[in-house]
Amino acid sequence: MRINLDTPVVESREQRLGTIIAWDGKASELSKQSEYARKSCASGCGEKGRRLCEMKGPFTQGSVCSEQMVECQAGHIRDAVLIQHSPIGCGAGQVIYNSIYRNGLAMRNLPVENLRLISTNLKEQDMVFGGVDKLEQSIRDAWERHHPKAIFIATSCATGIIGDDVDGSARKMEGELGIPVIPLHCEGFMSKHWSTGFDATQHGIMRQIVRKNPTKQEDLVNVINLWGTDVFTPMFKELNLRVNFVVDLATVEDLAQMSEAAATVGFCHTLSSYLAAGLEQEFGVPEIKAPQPYGFPGTDAWLRELAKVTHREELAEAYIAREHLRVAPRIAELRVLLKGKKGFVSTGSAYAHGIIAVLRELGVEVDGSLVFHHDPIYDSQDPRQDTLAHLVDNYGDVPSFSVSNRQQYQFYGLLQRVKPDFIIIRHNGLAPLASRLGIPAAPLGDEHHALGYQGIINLGETILEILSHKKFHEDLAAHVTLPYKKWWLDQGDPFLLVKGD
Amino acid sequence: MQGAETVVTEGRTFPPLGPKTNSIQQVRYVCAIGAMHSASAIPWVIPITHCGPGCAEKQFGSLAMCNGFQGGGYGGGAVVPSTNISESEVVFGGENRLRELIRASLKILDAELFVVVTGCIPDLVGDDAGAVVREFQAEGVPVVLAETGGFKGTNFTGHELVTRAIIDQYVGEYAGGRTPGVVNVWSMLPYHNTFWQGDLSEIKRVLEGGGLKVNILFGHESEGVSEWKRIPQAQFNLVLSPWLGLRTAQHLEGKYGQPFLHLPIIPIGADETSSFLRKVVAFAGIDPSLAEEFIKKEERTYYHYLEGFGEFYSEYFWGMPAKFVVVGESAYNLALTRFLINDLGLMPGGQFITENPPEEYREAISREFRTIADDVVTHVAFEEDSYRIHTLIRQSDFGQKPPIILGTTWERDLAKEMRSAVVEVGFPASYEMVLSRTNVGYRGAIALLEKIYTTVVSGTA
Ligand code: SF4
Repeated sequence: MRINLDTPVVESREQRLGTIIAWDGKASELSKQSEYARKSCASGCGEKGRRLCEMKGPFTQGSVCSEQMVECQAGHIRDAVLIQHSPIGCGAGQVIYNSIYRNGLAMRNLPVENLRLISTNLKEQDMVFGGVDKLEQSIRDAWERHHPKAIFIATSCATGIIGDDVDGSARKMEGELGIPVIPLHCEGFMSKHWSTGFDATQHGIMRQIVRKNPTKQEDLVNVINLWGTDVFTPMFKELNLRVNFVVDLATVEDLAQMSEAAATVGFCHTLSSYLAAGLEQEFGVPEIKAPQPYGFPGTDAWLRELAKVTHREELAEAYIAREHLRVAPRIAELRVLLKGKKGFVSTGSAYAHGIIAVLRELGVEVDGSLVFHHDPIYDSQDPRQDTLAHLVDNYGDVPSFSVSNRQQYQFYGLLQRVKPDFIIIRHNGLAPLASRLGIPAAPLGDEHHALGYQGIINLGETILEILSHKKFHEDLAAHVTLPYKKWWLDQGDPFLLVKGD
Repeated sequence: MQGAETVVTEGRTFPPLGPKTNSIQQVRYVCAIGAMHSASAIPWVIPITHCGPGCAEKQFGSLAMCNGFQGGGYGGGAVVPSTNISESEVVFGGENRLRELIRASLKILDAELFVVVTGCIPDLVGDDAGAVVREFQAEGVPVVLAETGGFKGTNFTGHELVTRAIIDQYVGEYAGGRTPGVVNVWSMLPYHNTFWQGDLSEIKRVLEGGGLKVNILFGHESEGVSEWKRIPQAQFNLVLSPWLGLRTAQHLEGKYGQPFLHLPIIPIGADETSSFLRKVVAFAGIDPSLAEEFIKKEERTYYHYLEGFGEFYSEYFWGMPAKFVVVGESAYNLALTRFLINDLGLMPGGQFITENPPEEYREAISREFRTIADDVVTHVAFEEDSYRIHTLIRQSDFGQKPPIILGTTWERDLAKEMRSAVVEVGFPASYEMVLSRTNVGYRGAIALLEKIYTTVVSGTA
């Protein structure tokens, strides 16, 4: 299955990868059930008829949409503008992603500023007569106001349904302004999982921004990430490599030069899958086919593969040896301090696999965890990237491993199953419930926090910090009423309704 | 404020402003489905959203989290059920999906009333959500529907749709009498106004101080739906805002023959608050002696603190802003502008009304600003697009010192550029933590002074 850059519309995750959003069982079982994808796809047949068995139920709580992920990717490029072609409601995201953008810039020591998102503000009559005139007006406004290096357009549910010719407008305006004008098709209803929005952004960038005739830079490595602290530059210095952070907080030039890099890595395959595979397929930039850099075996393998591809094996071996020695004493101490503690991870898919590994390195028990979706395979289709199998093979099984797209009503039962001392989160919505049950949460706003060797220490220290918040949460728990009926809370099985009762 | 000149500041050039376009950069209100928060603002009421997968989370993240970190409360935030509409409901219609979700919500969630709100998809594909909700109503289920399709209005107009849905479909008909001295309060927009909880508490406290019994209707001081059921029994409705709530009050007048008092100015400070209370008490026709006693006591406390403030205000060495700019929706904008002009003697440097109020109310709003004081001229502009607002502010002449900006997170960069300060008093206030703080009434005015001048002082050295 190849990535198809010929059409402006990205293929959704569920079409490409067989993504599911509801499942319950053991991690080892999910890993086994996902094997089909590797086998069938490796032989090139792309057997789309076969799918993981997915549960579906009548009750769902608000999720997240692809358009939001476009806001937090294309909307965070520093010298571009993102037009939201939508009624004003989708524009509510400007507030959320502005606060992330500002704090992300601050974390990366870049000048703090508001993001540049413009809503076309469609009204009732536009639903009848179409909104392309307003789209073109907003594109002109974006140009007059900021003279950006590129203009992105996010579609919305409304424009998808009324069938505005966004591609046509984008082509016309690109001709008029002489900069890339890039339509990103991300109607919320088009995919059941928001990660399709990552792919939509990356699709547009590869089609219209990445340089087609690259001059190779042999020491440049693309790092597909979000806003996290720059832990890569010091690490890469040891290997004589330079970092090219994309997509968030990048400039259009950073994006254009991705085709010139020696390799591409990421902190989470969920985010980087499409872009990394596409850069390899279209521009010959190798994607590092390794587990993610979490815990010792993962980080070792990841560094070695990066070194192999960039021909820096000796430097890497020396660095690995030094780092093992450096972090060992504190990790040993942390293992004593965290002995007997139980953790629960609820984050995006591949990222969770990495974080569970780090917890197990720290000796924390992880009997249950939750991922917001599951991709049986990533776009590279390479077994070396099978993060779930890496987790199960190196660290053992997770007995209660659930897929649930941020459904708070199920989270109660999931926590009852394993009664953790703390949870780790990356999206909001679940920690408030845990808090009302007396369980503290560690929000990993800095996605690089647990990465690499130092990440093991970082995460351990953070857990100690949040465990001491327990006093607060227990006090709160004794004084709140949950909005769920007793009947539901008494159910042992959080997936009761999805199985069909 | 013409916006006709080119401005160069800090090395950046801002070309003259052309005519207004459709574009909105840096939103200051959201769509009608944002009024799901008007449902979750009522104790034990939970909204059910029939919309795309991102709509509910966006509205919540924006209005309730990145706006004072207020939190979702009992039935908001990630609790809110959503049909998370996918392609199949777009193609085949979403009525069955909505029916299924309502039924499941009744099983799982503990609410006294569910309020179904719709987003743009069901409106565009022609779902008959009303028919689905009526089926449940026929079974006696406490559920109402407000059609809040995103392109139809703002969260302000959506608020009145939600309010009206509850009145018409849940409170229902009433033929009994009215209880003297009981008032229903319709004022600021829950959640969108970052300080709504503390403000409503203070308004309730003041009215009760005057001897009234208050149905505050939103926030934790409301008794929830039982209070809503008693709306028709109240003597009258009080609309405390320039326009929001007027349609509701007019509707109640038609429906229950209930009179209303419209006071456009939310009171801040002793003068304004005492006169507010006297007006309401006179309208109610109740014995004013209680109110007078309350006013005396409150003013004693107020002026005690104001005296302390006066020492600072008269002899602080390191400079203070003389002018101010307010960027915000009309209710707070008017209240703050009056307080700063009449009580502190500051000079207005531009008042930007940002919530896109319906045309028919705009002249009345402007008039309120024109008549604040005889000796002060205010410039009011109805603007929704922050790029325009910021350009207009850059082009203004503020004399020797930059103005203090009472605005939102969107003004942080502008304030830095102008070497001025911003106090985030409205949506979005992403760098404020707001729980029970208030800016209105007697107590709120003091808190507001503390906030404004802490900001000023802490910026000096
Ligand atoms: S209307 Fe669609 S695109 Fe807009 S926020 Fe809702 S789900 Fe996302």
